[in-house]
Amino acid sequence: MRSPSEGRRRHCLRQLDAGPLREYFGRPFPSPALDYRCVDYVAIDLETTGLDHRQDQILSVGWVLVRGQRIDLASARHRLLRCDGDIPAETAVIHQITDDEAAAGLRQSRVLRELLGVLAGRVLIAHHAKIELSFLDAACRDLYGAGLLVRCVDTEVLARRTFERRNIPFRPSELRLHSLCERYNLPRYRAHNAFYDALAAAELFLAQVAYRDNGNGFRLGDLL
Amino acid sequence: MDVELIEIQEFLAKHPPFEQLPEEALEQLPRQFVVRYLKRGSRFPPSDDQAAHLYILRRGAIELRDAEGELVSKLAEGDLFSDVCLSGDSTSSSDHDKPSLTGETVEDSLLYSMTCAHFEQLRSAHPEFADYFDGSTTKRLRKALDAFTESSATTGGLMTVSARDLVRREPIMASPHISIREAANLMSVERASALLLTEDEQLSGIITDRDLRNRCVATGLSTEQPVSEIMTVAISTIDADALGFEALLQMTRLNVHHLPVVDGKQLLGMLSTSDFTRYQSTSGVYIVGDIHKADSVAALEAISAKVPDLQVQLISSGATGGHVGQAVSAVTDAITKRLLELAEAELGPPPVPYAWLVGGSQARREQSSHSDQDNALLIADGMSKDDDHYFRQLAERVNDGLNACGYIYCPGDVMAKTANWRQPLATWQQYFEHWIKRPDPKALMLASVFFDLRALHDPAGLFDGLHEQVLELSRDNRIFIAYMAANALKHRPPLGFFRNFVLIHGGDHDRTFDIKHRGTVPIIDLARVYALSSGLAPINTVERLEAAAETAALTHDGGANLIDAFELINTLRIRHQANQLRNGEKADNFLAPEQLSPLERGHLKDAFLLIDRMQETLGQRYQAGRFG
Repeated sequence: MRSPSEGRRRHCLRQLDAGPLREYFGRPFPSPALDYRCVDYVAIDLETTGLDHRQDQILSVGWVLVRGQRIDLASARHRLLRCDGDIPAETAVIHQITDDEAAAGLRQSRVLRELLGVLAGRVLIAHHAKIELSFLDAACRDLYGAGLLVRCVDTEVLARRTFERRNIPFRPSELRLHSLCERYNLPRYRAHNAFYDALAAAELFLAQVAYRDNGNGFRLGDLL
Repeated sequence: MDVELIEIQEFLAKHPPFEQLPEEALEQLPRQFVVRYLKRGSRFPPSDDQAAHLYILRRGAIELRDAEGELVSKLAEGDLFSDVCLSGDSTSSSDHDKPSLTGETVEDSLLYSMTCAHFEQLRSAHPEFADYFDGSTTKRLRKALDAFTESSATTGGLMTVSARDLVRREPIMASPHISIREAANLMSVERASALLLTEDEQLSGIITDRDLRNRCVATGLSTEQPVSEIMTVAISTIDADALGFEALLQMTRLNVHHLPVVDGKQLLGMLSTSDFTRYQSTSGVYIVGDIHKADSVAALEAISAKVPDLQVQLISSGATGGHVGQAVSAVTDAITKRLLELAEAELGPPPVPYAWLVGGSQARREQSSHSDQDNALLIADGMSKDDDHYFRQLAERVNDGLNACGYIYCPGDVMAKTANWRQPLATWQQYFEHWIKRPDPKALMLASVFFDLRALHDPAGLFDGLHEQVLELSRDNRIFIAYMAANALKHRPPLGFFRNFVLIHGGDHDRTFDIKHRGTVPIIDLARVYALSSGLAPINTVERLEAAAETAALTHDGGANLIDAFELINTLRIRHQANQLRNGEKADNFLAPEQLSPLERGHLKDAFLLIDRMQETLGQRYQAGRFG
């Protein structure tokens, strides 16, 4: 996945009517030339009814801000979304969000507006970011008629690159968020929800950059 | 409403001092933190934190070193590092003059950090929380100890009630000049089992039901005789402010069932064993009573089997390790004395006077149930060669009897039946002279048991002179003390509490640490050095420390802190044993850190840190490294 350019951002900005997405595009992307330590990130995780953004829905979003090498717990958020239709039993087992809770959740437009506000001018962090990117993109198209462009660090991709660069053979299961957290001596949270997965991804990110950084920092571009 | 941070809140709430915060404050707490990751080998505190911060270790481990690079402490999960925030804070009298520590992560570590400014706000809003930081290790240890005795003692337990509170009525007193009959009359009118006899407001004696029976009726003495004929004189009393527990211990040790309570010179009343029955801690008194009546080794064996129960019972009524040590040692003393009586009854009276000496934990009155036996025989110089036959038999009977009662033979053969340790006074004097004047480390290690020595049975008073001589010789003998000091530094406390740093690996005691050799023994050894270097007579560790704190050997604070640390560690040790005994297991000294609450772990760490500092000081004073 190529990182979107500033030119594309300005293009999108011109195409859009006033609204949350336009405001989002109004803030420049952090430059890949910046020292990663001077960049703000938002670690995000979504719980969804399935893996296909064309038919499945977002059930909840969790996020937390990462400023350079520090996770700011004051920014921690967990939002349940209002969801129509039944939640498939097999996914409900995993995220433990019931139909009733989903019905009492917030409107998707409201949560997306809040999230876009947080994301503007920042870099998204997610583990296996394809899911987060595709669902958020679909939601934006749905609500604002245009897709989401965002600079993104995928902690799974970083892990894969590390394994490959060092010629360490690995099984796919070793790329899972929790296996990687264990590898870096990070805490294991009991709750399996969007917030704790976002926090775990943020902590994994801190560990990955700590191991990559020899004390002199490096370009954000190396992570994208 | 921060439902999302509940797991972080729970983590904080499990660790001191955050558990002191009220629920609302705890809910707000996680949001005040920033999360940082320091890979193994990183500098701590991180150099890139602009403002000063407080840190809590969520995962990993950190080693802290002082300006000289000496390892001072280790931080483990849940540990707090607040030095940076507290130093230069004039309002807090925390471990001040201590130079600032720097550290390094020895594992990949995840930390929660908070600015000192936020921390300051928390402290000013919550005095309970602030208390934890106000003051030093010292105050925290003291509080921990108080909390211990308070929490386990049932309401109004013997640990909280004073002898004064136990007294239920005015003392029944009479003149020693009244007749035995009048005294008996008075006792039955007053329904008292004992009567105090006073003259000019001075306590001159006591009589009990038993005295009337044994000394009057049974002997056919006229009841018209003055009661002073049958009263017991030179009776011991207890101070009104002493703990109920101490009164009970004293009765156990002396094997008496009545104890007058005094406030200065004034008699307040009398305690009898029945006053303790509701506290259910009386078994010590009864065990000792039964021992005096036992007429065979088999009978003593049966009684000594109750000692573990006694330990369990004492601990559940809130006793500290020190109290248990006193009570258990009193029982061992009684058994030993009874064995001597039985042996003498069989072998006849000794050809020359002798003293039965006990060493080690029994001498210090710090035994827990069924330690090994350490003892020796000191015989009057007039003994002839043939007399040893008698003393060998005496020693064998007592040593074997003790072994049968569960006090197993000393693995180092420090027992009266070993010929070397069954010697006339002159030989003992030579032993000590040799040990003190020409010390060598190996012999001293063996001999250390002989520097904790107490005469248990010594009708001719043979031991006192020897003891004085030993103290005279050892005092100010710098070379000897230096050797003892080097010895005292052999057992070091663990500097941190970690999953695997200080733990024993493999074998029966996998993943535990030895709380005796790493905790109590270092303090016992320190106290012995202080006592010998100043020629102090006490043998009991706490008494030694108290006495040493009055001399140049130890500061007042140093003494008070070591006593608290000793009581704390020893109490944890005795409790661990009580738990094992309760579960029908054999008692040992191997503690798994998971058995301790985070709070107890914190207190233990404080205690260990203190021992380490005191050992350092002692080592420097005697340049102990040269003698190790």
